[in-house]
Order: sequence, then structure tokens, then C-alpha cells
Amino acid sequence: MDDRIAQFIAGLRAAGVRVSLAESADAFRATALLGVADRAAFRSALRATLVKENKDAPVFERLFPMYFSSGGPPLIPPDQALTPDQQKMLEAALRALAGDLSRLLQMLASGQNPSRAELERLAQQSGGRWGRRPEQQPQITRQMLRQLGLDALAKQIERLLQQLAQMGMSAEGQAAIRQLLAANREALVEQASQAAGQSLARQLAEQPPEKFDEADLLQRPFNDLSEAEARELRRLVTRLAAKLRSRAALRQRKGDGKTLDAKTTLRANLRTAGVPFTLHFKKRHLKPKFALICDISTSMRPVAEFMLRLMYELQDQVGQARSFAFNDHLEEVSDEFILHRPDEAIPLVLHRIPPGYYATDLGFGLQNFCAQHLDAVDRRTTVIFLGDGRNNFRDPRLDLFEQIKRRARRVVWFNPELRFQWHTGDSDMPQYAPLCDAVHQVSNLDELTDAVDRLFTSRG
Amino acid sequence: MFNGTADVMEALGRQQYIASDEIATVLFLAERLGKPVLAEGPAGVGKTELAKAWASATGRPLIRLQCYEGLDETKALYEWEYSKQMLYTQLLREKLSQLLSDAATLTEAADRLASEDNVFFSPRFLLPRPLLQGILSETPVTLLIDEIDRADAEFEAFLLEVLSDFQVSVPELGTLTAKHPPLVLLTSNNTRELSEALKRRCVYLHIDYPTLESELRVVRLKVPDLSPQLARQAVELVQRLRGLDLRKSPSVSETLDWARALVLLNAKSLDQRTLDTTLSLLLKHEADLQRARRGLSRAERDEAPGRAEDDPAMFRRLKGPRP
Repeated sequence: MDDRIAQFIAGLRAAGVRVSLAESADAFRATALLGVADRAAFRSALRATLVKENKDAPVFERLFPMYFSSGGPPLIPPDQALTPDQQKMLEAALRALAGDLSRLLQMLASGQNPSRAELERLAQQSGGRWGRRPEQQPQITRQMLRQLGLDALAKQIERLLQQLAQMGMSAEGQAAIRQLLAANREALVEQASQAAGQSLARQLAEQPPEKFDEADLLQRPFNDLSEAEARELRRLVTRLAAKLRSRAALRQRKGDGKTLDAKTTLRANLRTAGVPFTLHFKKRHLKPKFALICDISTSMRPVAEFMLRLMYELQDQVGQARSFAFNDHLEEVSDEFILHRPDEAIPLVLHRIPPGYYATDLGFGLQNFCAQHLDAVDRRTTVIFLGDGRNNFRDPRLDLFEQIKRRARRVVWFNPELRFQWHTGDSDMPQYAPLCDAVHQVSNLDELTDAVDRLFTSRG
Repeated sequence: MFNGTADVMEALGRQQYIASDEIATVLFLAERLGKPVLAEGPAGVGKTELAKAWASATGRPLIRLQCYEGLDETKALYEWEYSKQMLYTQLLREKLSQLLSDAATLTEAADRLASEDNVFFSPRFLLPRPLLQGILSETPVTLLIDEIDRADAEFEAFLLEVLSDFQVSVPELGTLTAKHPPLVLLTSNNTRELSEALKRRCVYLHIDYPTLESELRVVRLKVPDLSPQLARQAVELVQRLRGLDLRKSPSVSETLDWARALVLLNAKSLDQRTLDTTLSLLLKHEADLQRARRGLSRAERDEAPGRAEDDPAMFRRLKGPRP
């Protein structure tokens, strides 16, 4: 059983759940305590010790039966479902048609379970050997059933029933046999599915989890990421955000600490009859306010996603952050992030503002912004533009840009393009850049983190 | 010490807490493995209640630490009582001058004073806060660290030492180790991601909204005065509300509040008027209220197509026996 648990943990890791050594040790101790007799308790024990995030729960639920299953329900032998007479007729019919019937139907009709080894071999042949992901289970199951001859089964059953009818079986008996076959078919499908799962599980446990070179990933341009790499990078964002958060917190803690906070000092020293033993100084709460205006056209999506993620991971260090997304027009998307976690919110936002080719129009976006959302900008707000500044030769509306700048504390531009590209084609960067307080190139996560970090310094 | 999960469930049941299999298993494991429990889930599903029930089921007093933004060690762990120290110095001035009077040099006097240092930095002047109370307690206790996600990340890091070894370092006194490792329950509403390190040290428990049947059991247990039929209707309505896309879904505690209100108002059935006046006990956002009213009426229309929108019978499904 211990081997199986170790395989299960390896499977969880392969599916992207972080399980530390200490946690796997806990899992062994917990299961040893509770035993394996009570399946529900065994499952809860593993779950409580291995899965520490609710979003990983579905992975656990999917993998658990693959590793710890009974092998599926057994097939029902005919003597349990049929009368002796019906049985005899069925056997006779099977004999009569021996050459024509598939092995599958023979198995179902005689209630003969396929051996484990047989199922295992079948699973291997049906693609279990090349299994890479747990999601492949249904696909392998289908392939196994096809190999067993499930496609032709319906026709064969009809053939068998015809034979039985000719042999003079009553309608009642035929119905009973049909029912028996259907039940056994279900059971066999379940057996095949579990065999596929187990075969896949073994395969996954043997293969090392995908490794990524962190430093390399951080430097990789956003537009050059595979799906797996992006997934890994999303995980990194959480950790980077934690780092940024504590740095930002430290900076805030420092404050200026020079002005005496008379109110707090009096209150704190009441128990010493007002004699000031402890002095309290005014801590300046420099929690910045942000207004993020994000270009989410097709080319910008990867970087926009990571930017939004970072910003909302840092939510607790920010006084107020409002986000706006634009492509051909501009909409506020703050609500999505307040109500949902970034993982859910980002697809929602991307769904709400559909991509369009050559549709990007910051000029019109700025017009929307100034008409509806100018209240998001005051003298404490840092306005962040995230975009490549490519307006498809439309009016850049520099006047509106200046209007925002006049209201805001600072205007910062993040551009994912390399600097030398800013002066080419339809880029309006040369016109926007001089109006900004700072312009950062954010072509990879390293640069993006750096740029976000700088937002939290006093000079930004 | 519990003997098994069934034992846990029964003990919690005696405290009027209906525990699922999973909750019972996790508590049993936490006690046996000596690890804290991290309970996550939406607000109002009974996480804090669980701690209280656990405490009384095990007969250990409950010590509660409510977390908030800006919580630090002096509020959570201990503080030196400067004023008391100062007072003692004042009162003991005579004794001190006696002690120091025959010192020949200033250095000797300072040395002598230094050797008496531990008079002033002794547990006598230590003001224990919840965490230290839990550790120093002579009897075993249950420690509830409520809403850990509200505390800062630094505080979380500081908790690690306390939670893994049940010990605390006080620079002036050395390391204080728990006589009886407390049972610890941390709760989180999941408003922010907790650190990996903290999660690794805990046994994880996710408590979600209960199913219809178990919520009904809770309501019947806590509000026995509500008629069984009305209780079922009420819980069914709450379950339907949770299916809607609301800002804040009604939680179990809100269901209970509502159930109590229905008893107080002597409601016989969930008619339109009762709903109008009491729905605000379940939903705390104006937008949610409006959406719920719309949602409920829409569901009604879907079931009986062709019915006019402003039909007062739109809550008919919830009223009395069904047709």
C-alpha cells in the first residue's frame, strides 16, 4: 500500500500539485493511523495532508480512483439473473453461433471477468504506454473498448436475440438477457476505465515531472511561451508577488517616523497615568493608488494577463486599484477581480472584451476613460498604461493623455516591445513617451516584476 | 484523546455541531499527529463554531486570537509591562540604594545591579497575549487563530515557529516550550493566498456550504421551534439562492438567523410578504437582493411558462404542499 501511496503522490506532483516531503511523510503517518479499511476515511486522510489548496481538490478527486480502486464491479454470472431454462437456452444459442459471436459478447453473456493481466495488456496496447497526462484516461478507455469490439456489440446482441427467438425463448426471457448484457456491459466499461487509469497512473509515476529552468523562463519573452511554460510562470508569479509584497510592506513600515502621534501616544500611556513611557510616531501610510489601463489586443494578451495577475496578488499593499481594459473600446474590469480570484477573473475579462485584428484604438479608449472613469484618477493615483502604443494609425488623442497626466500623481508606461521597435510602423510610442514620468520595457516576467516593484518605491 | 473518527463525530454532536466525515477525520488526525488544522471556506459555514465545539468536546478551554491587518507580536504573543517594571523600581528604590550603598566604585555598583537583572526581566513582568497564554497554560487548551488571511504576511511567517514546535523565543528569557501542545485551529476566508510554509505545517480542511440535507439537520438542531415543513422550504430557498450568481451567497449562519426570524415572526409559510420583509437577513447587498428577487421569479416562470411576470404567485413553489 505504501508503494501505491508513493505512486499517488508522484502522480499528484506530475499533475501540478505541490507536495513537499514533509507533507508526504504526514500522509504516510495519517494513513497508518486510520488504516485502509474505511475507504472514506483513508481518502480524507490523504486529502487533508496532501492537498492544501482548494483549487487542487479536483485533481485529487480525479486521481484518487485511478490509484485506489477496487478494479471495478465484477460481471454478473448468468445463473444469478436467469432461470435454469433460460440459461440452458442461452448456452445453446451461444454454441450455435460460436463462430459468429465476438469474444466480447461471449464474455458478457457468460459473466466471465477478464483477468487483470488481460486488461493491463489491453490498456498498454491502447495507448497507456504513451500516457503523459491524467486527462488521457477516457481516451484510452475508449480505445480499449474499441479493441474489445464494443462498436459491433449492438448488432451482435440483436443476432443473439434473434437466435434465441428462433429457439423459442419467451419475450420475457429475451428481456432478462438483454438486461443482463446491458448491466455487464456497464461493469466492463468501468473495469476498462479503471484499468486505463491504473496503467496511466503507473506511467505518470515513473516519468519525472516537467522541469523548467526558472531563470530562463523569467527572461523569456511573453510571446514566446508554450502553454506548459506559461502555466509554470503563473505559479512563479504567486511567489514573485509574495516577495514584492514583503518588500513593499517593509518600505511602508519605515514611513518617515519623525512626527509624534499625540493621540496614539496619549492613549497608549493611559495606564501610566499619562506619563509617556512609549512614544508613538505617525506612520505614513503610503499605500499607493493605481489606475491600470491595459491593452488586451491579441498580441498583448500574455503580458496583460501577467500584469493583472501581479497587480491583484499585490492587492493588500495597494490602497486602491482600478483596472480598465481596452481593445477597440475601454471598459472597467475591476469588479471581475474583486469578485473572483485572478485565475477565474482573467478568462472572464478576456471573454468580455473579444479580440479583434487591427482594432486597437487607445485614442478612443482614452475618450471612453475621460468620459466615464476620470474619477479613478486623483493626485494620489499612479496611472499605468500597459500597451505597445500601436494605434493602427488612428488619432492618439494626446490631449486626453495630457489631461489624465495633469490629474494624476504619475503616469507610467509599460511596453512589452523591445525599445528599438518603438519607433517603427504604427507605434505612437514616440509621442506618448515624453508625456510619461517613466517608461519601462516589460518584455519578460523579470522586467515586469522589476517595473511593478518600482511602482512601490516612493519615487515610483 | 479520541479513539476514532466516529468518536470525534459523536463528541462534536454532543456540542450541537454536526460534523461531516471529513471534518471528523481531519480533527482526529490533527490531534494524533499533533498538527494544527487549517480550515478554509466561505464566511459563515461554521469554522469558528467548529473550534468552539472542538474545545468543549475535548474539555480544553478555548483561547482565541482574532487576526487583523497590522496585528503584531506584542498583541499576539507577549509584551513587557514597562509600567509595572517602573513602578517596582520606584517602590524598591530604598532597597536598591541599600544594596548599592557599600559599592566602592561606580563599576561595582553597575555590576551588582546587572546581577539583579533577572528580577526585572522575569515572567513576573511578562504580559502574555493569546499565543503565549496557550503555550504557557498549565492545562491543555485549544487555540483558535481566527481569519489568519487578514493578518500580514510577516505575522504569518512569525507564526511558523509557534505552530511547528509550539515554542516561543523571548530574547530576555530564552525559549519557552509548551507544557501541553495545544490543539490549534486556524481559519481563513481565503481572501488571500497563504504561504506554502504555513500550509505545509497544517492539516488542511475545506469546509464548503453544506448539502440540503445536512443544512436542514443543522437548522432543525439549532432552531427546533421552526416547523419541519417550513424549515425544509427555507433551506431549499437558501440552496437555490446559492445557485445564483451573487456577490455574497447566504451562509449557514445567515440561514440560522433567518430561521430564527421566521420563528419570531410566527410565519406559517414562505409567502411573498414574509420573503419581502425577511430576505434582507439572508442577502446583505442591495444588488443581491434585487437579483435574487428576479432570479426567484425567473425560476418560477421557467417552471410554469406563460405566467405573467408580476404574478403574486411567483413564489408558489415555496409555499405549502406542492401541486
